[in-house]
Formats: sequence, C-alpha cells, structure tokens
Amino acid sequence: MPRKKPEPSKTSEQDTWREDASQLSYEEALQALDVLLGQLQDDSIPLADLQKNHARASIYLDRCDLLLSQVEQSVRQLDPNTMEERMLDTSNNE
Amino acid sequence: MSAESLPTYSVRELNNAIGVLLERGFAPRFVIQATASRPQVKKGHLWLTLSDGDASITAVAWASKLKQLDFVPADGDGVTVIGRLNFWSARASLAVQVLDMRPSLTTVLRRFETVKAQLLEEGVIDPGRRRKLPAYPKRLAVLTSVPSSALADMLRTAQERWPLSELLVVPIPVQGEVAPIICGVLSRLAEQHHQLRLDAIVLARGGGSREDLMVFDDADVCRILASFPLPVVTGLGHEDDLTVADLVADHRAATPTAAMVTLMPSKESAQQTISQRRTRLSEYKRWRLEQASSRLKERHLQLHTFRPAVALQRRRNQWEQRQQLLLALSPQRWLHRGFAMLHTANGQPVQSIDDICLNEQVHIRLKDGVVQAITKTIQANESSNSQASL
Repeated sequence: MPRKKPEPSKTSEQDTWREDASQLSYEEALQALDVLLGQLQDDSIPLADLQKNHARASIYLDRCDLLLSQVEQSVRQLDPNTMEERMLDTSNNE
Repeated sequence: MSAESLPTYSVRELNNAIGVLLERGFAPRFVIQATASRPQVKKGHLWLTLSDGDASITAVAWASKLKQLDFVPADGDGVTVIGRLNFWSARASLAVQVLDMRPSLTTVLRRFETVKAQLLEEGVIDPGRRRKLPAYPKRLAVLTSVPSSALADMLRTAQERWPLSELLVVPIPVQGEVAPIICGVLSRLAEQHHQLRLDAIVLARGGGSREDLMVFDDADVCRILASFPLPVVTGLGHEDDLTVADLVADHRAATPTAAMVTLMPSKESAQQTISQRRTRLSEYKRWRLEQASSRLKERHLQLHTFRPAVALQRRRNQWEQRQQLLLALSPQRWLHRGFAMLHTANGQPVQSIDDICLNEQVHIRLKDGVVQAITKTIQANESSNSQASL
C-alpha cells in the first residue's frame, strides 16, 4: 500500500508558527496561549479549526517551557559614566 | 606649703610636661558624642567646635583624613567622633584630632523629616503616582555597590527566581557625600533607558546602620527617582530602615534581596502554570471531540428510530383533523339545521335589513335548493329606528 504523503501546507504552516513563537518573550507566548485557550472554550469553533488551534497552542506551550528551562541568567555591568555594557567585574573596589 | 617644695618649670618645660602627661595618661583613642558648630575648611583642613551645651573643644580633621570621611557635618549637626588628642606644646593648645566622624542618629532622622516635609509639599512624595511593576521583566538595572554582599545576594535570588531576566549591574557609591554622583548616574540612565531596553530599576544598599543610609534622604536624589521614566524598586538597609528614597519609589522592599523577590516572578510557579495550561489544552480538545461524538450518536439514534409508515400515518392524522375542522366550519351544516342564506340578485349576501330594499329580488338558499322572492315589507327589530313598508 503506498505511503500517505504529509500535507505540505499544514507542515509549513506549523513551521511558520514555530518560527514566530521562537521570537516571543515568555509573557508574549503566555498571552498568545491564553487567547487560543479562550477560543477553544468557545463551542461555536468548527472542529476543523479545533485541530489547528490545538497545534498552535502546543507550540506556544513549548516556547514557554523552553524559556523556563533556561538556567543561566545574563548579567552584565554598565559603566556608570558612559552607560556602556561590559562583562560583570566583581573585582572593582568602591 | 612653701615655694621651695613645689615643682618649678619654665614655660617650655611646663608645656612639655603637660604634653607628656597627656600622651602617657590619656586614652590614645576615644569617642565623643557632640554637636558640631562652625565647621570651616582652612588650607584643606576641616576645623570645627564640638560642644555638648556645657563645654566645648576644638576639633580638626586633617586634609588627608578629610578626604576619607564619609560625612562632613553642617553647623548644628549631631556627630559621633572617634578621635585622639592633639597637644601643641609651644602654645599649650589642645584639639581633638578627628579619626572618624559620623552623623548621630538624631541628625539623620532630623534630615529625613525635613526632606520628607519638603518633598511632600512639592508633591514629589505621592503614593497615588506609584506605578505597577512589570509582571515579567525582560531587563533590569541594579544600582548598588560593586562588589558587595548585597549584590551577591541579589544575583543569587534573581538566578533562582527568574533567570529569563537580563540584569545590568550599575556600580554606585552608597555611603557618604555621594549624592551628586548618584544623581548623575540616575540622570544618564533615565536618558538612555530606551536604548538599554530596561523595564525597571532597583536601588539597593545592604546592611549598615541608619546613618549609613543618609545619602538616600538627599532631596535631589529623591526628585530624580520620583521622576524616573521607569518603575523604581528600593531595597535599602534593613526592614526598619525607612529613607525618603523609599517614599518616592514605586515599591519599597525591606532589603535588597526582597527587592529582587518583588520584581522577579517565581519560575516554579510559572512552570506549574504552564503544566496546568497543558492539561487544560488536552482536556478542551478531548471535551470538544466527545461533544461532537455525542451529537453524532444522537443523530444516529434518531435515524434508527425513524419509521416512514409511522411518519406517514402521523401526517394523515393531521390532515384528517384539518378536514374535520373544515367541515365543522362549513355553512352547509347550518343549512341542514334549517337555517337559510340570503343573497341579492347580484350575489351580495344579505345580513342586515340595510343590505336590501323594498321590491328588490332576493335569493333564499335552503338545504335543498334556492327560492327567488321579492321583498314586500322590511320590519326592523324594536331596538332599531328604521322601518319601511309598501
């Protein structure tokens, strides 16, 4: 039996969503997720859109999970006179 | 007592003896609580008078020490001085050499009240102006001394709570006559906060005594904080230490660590939130699919229980009911009961004596036929006024 080929349009659509989500901050991804969850609660959404919304919401969830799994914090130092950024130097005296 | 039994000195010998006595017999270091008056800098040295209301003594902070002092008193300030005696034998003059000088708590609190009153009058201190803190700050500036245990504690707390935030540490002096320096840093930060992409700032200083926090009662520092374009969180000293900067900030935290806890959301709580959302998402999908499946099953059931013959009979019954009703309302029924229907020659129904005239032809329909007649008289009922006859 011949293998069923994946629908190219659906795959590229999800890829676009993933790419967009990768640029979002935690707060932005959480807000987008909550909007979709609100829509999913709406009984009037057609079943065809249900699957799409579910897939997109999963992408936002994954984005939030990824951000929360970040362990290292970025800490830099600002020169108080020039306001230029540099690596944190803890050897300076007051 | 005679003059021969008393010690005899020249002036120099006397002064030297006094000097030696003081050097050997007086405490090499001591503390004085006093009020400073008439402070003046002469040739780089700070001269002032220390008094306690009953007595006074001259004090001097030599130029080399003056540079190191964190506090230079104004006239009338209460001070705590660590000093030693300086004795000039040439003129037998005495002064307290200042080794360290700090404001007394009374001085600090008096300055706090004065600046607080001034800024309240200006409207700079206004709880109604406090801004909301960002829920998920992306970038924060932390103004504090570098290095310091306060900074180390804050970085550790930030790392634990919300490592997603980027931190920009801005070194500032946090003690002494450094208000102009802090004002300069705050002004530059305010000008460039857009380019630096900041969401809020933290002003922090750990530990120490209330006197050490006096710079945060400075009116100029507090005006700049109050007008800062981003939310300001202060974490200065300990729980009980309140400065004017705390009053103008958008949020006052008890300590530097508490300031980071206030600004940073909890990563653990956020992880729980995401986990709950994930559960909700799969539950919604399952619920909607179950709902759709349930509706489909209902339709299946309806289809299975549908019988064409039953539906047809139901429709026939409805038709027969309508037919019966139509018959019941038919005029023929009245004719069979003996009533008659009258019409004029041109078919108009005669329902009233006003519908017909004398000598007019009238058709009378009975149950089994029609009679044609001519009206001879028309008689109204007693209640009617019209009456006519041939």
